[in-house]
Amino acid sequence: MIAPQWLWLPVAAISSTAYAATYFTTEQAQQAIFPGKMMTAAFVALSDAQARQIEKTSGVNVRARDVKAWKVEGGGVFVLDEVVGKHEFITYAVGIDADGHVAGVEIVDYRESYGYEVRNAEWRAQFIGKSTADPLQLTHDVRNVSGATLSCKHVTDGVKRVLATYAIALK
Amino acid sequence: MPPPVARMRPLLGTLVEIRAGGPESRVNDGIAAAFAAIERVQRLMSFHEAGSDVSRINAAPVGCEVAVDRETYCVLQHALDLGHRSNGAFDITIAPSLVAAGFLPYPRLSGPFQRPASGDHVDSARFSDLELLPARTVRWRRKGWIDLGGIAKGYAVDVAVAALQSQGLDHGLVNAGGDLRGFGERPWPIRIRAPEQPSMLLDVGSLHDEAIATSAGYFCNARVGSTMVAPIVDPTHGRCVVWNASISVVAGQCMTADALTKVVRLAPAALPALLDRYDAQVVIADADGARFCGRDRLQ
Repeated sequence: MIAPQWLWLPVAAISSTAYAATYFTTEQAQQAIFPGKMMTAAFVALSDAQARQIEKTSGVNVRARDVKAWKVEGGGVFVLDEVVGKHEFITYAVGIDADGHVAGVEIVDYRESYGYEVRNAEWRAQFIGKSTADPLQLTHDVRNVSGATLSCKHVTDGVKRVLATYAIALK
Repeated sequence: MPPPVARMRPLLGTLVEIRAGGPESRVNDGIAAAFAAIERVQRLMSFHEAGSDVSRINAAPVGCEVAVDRETYCVLQHALDLGHRSNGAFDITIAPSLVAAGFLPYPRLSGPFQRPASGDHVDSARFSDLELLPARTVRWRRKGWIDLGGIAKGYAVDVAVAALQSQGLDHGLVNAGGDLRGFGERPWPIRIRAPEQPSMLLDVGSLHDEAIATSAGYFCNARVGSTMVAPIVDPTHGRCVVWNASISVVAGQCMTADALTKVVRLAPAALPALLDRYDAQVVIADADGARFCGRDRLQ
């Protein structure tokens, strides 16, 4: 048996903030899902009864009563929604066509990491002296993160809730 | 050069980000084609969807020939090849253990064979009990269930990159929840998450026309009894393993990188030969930092 040869390398740089990216403005997301269509804002505030009904239909909690919806020229609805997970805060858009089917889902804004800063300082301290470069590189360039899979369950649950909201309060 | 266009969608049970640049008129169509390629892989290889090739294989009894799509066949060939090369450490028939640990639901099997007959012990099959026959058909020698979760995400990244390239884009990067591949002239700087503090990112170098995949437990562990386990099954005892460090593999294809992350954990003895065979590099990160092994791929 040949043992693998391991090479320890000092960690060149540690970034203290995790991933964050904005993919679309609201208007760009509208055009991505419904190209060339006019949109008319049709924001709705859900009643208690509607919120309960949506929770019952979708099996997903309704945290916000204000629904940011737009009617699409020629039929259909565009909804801008948010979900908060343990690790992430996501704004996303759901397009629903005139038949009530999902026409598209696009992530509008994705950010990770909140409230970690204090623990981060302690965690970073162990690397001081091991680094060949500045151990704290606060860059804001594009982050290509290879890591364990972050589930998209919050977004898929959110889409279920938006579809129930459509059936109960937007149709 | 304008910055690449970036899009993210929920697919493959995770969030898939595509960044791509090139002739302005082609970027949006290229990204749309790449997402469509990933959706196709999801339809074919999902354990959850009753009509997928994987579910049809799982529904088939011993001896029944199942015709599968060209792409599914290609992934199965690669998976069985890795099974042999890793002395069985990479095994796609560990699905029953993942179901038992709650990582996968009990399969929704459609077609004439709704459920395996009682006495049909699906958890005793190994990867070598699935025969690949000519004309893209497969057949069980001994009944099992497969799950391609350890390799299909990487494959989906590969086909998405191929779609971007065939649309004439100059550079791009596809990241399926941490399994990623880049192409083009520009280097793609890569960070991996520190396993004990996943909001912290370690800079490990840049990718050029290659892929990296990572397995780690920080987002996906589950409690079984009193221990936390990862959705990685050791085929020698059929149970999920405890997973501490973060293991990344850099290779030409993302499918290979994805699958090899499991082999690093389960079969270190087979590792030097496999790294050599696939020109691959391993990066392990734990509380002490990062260590590298194999080909010098990241720059």
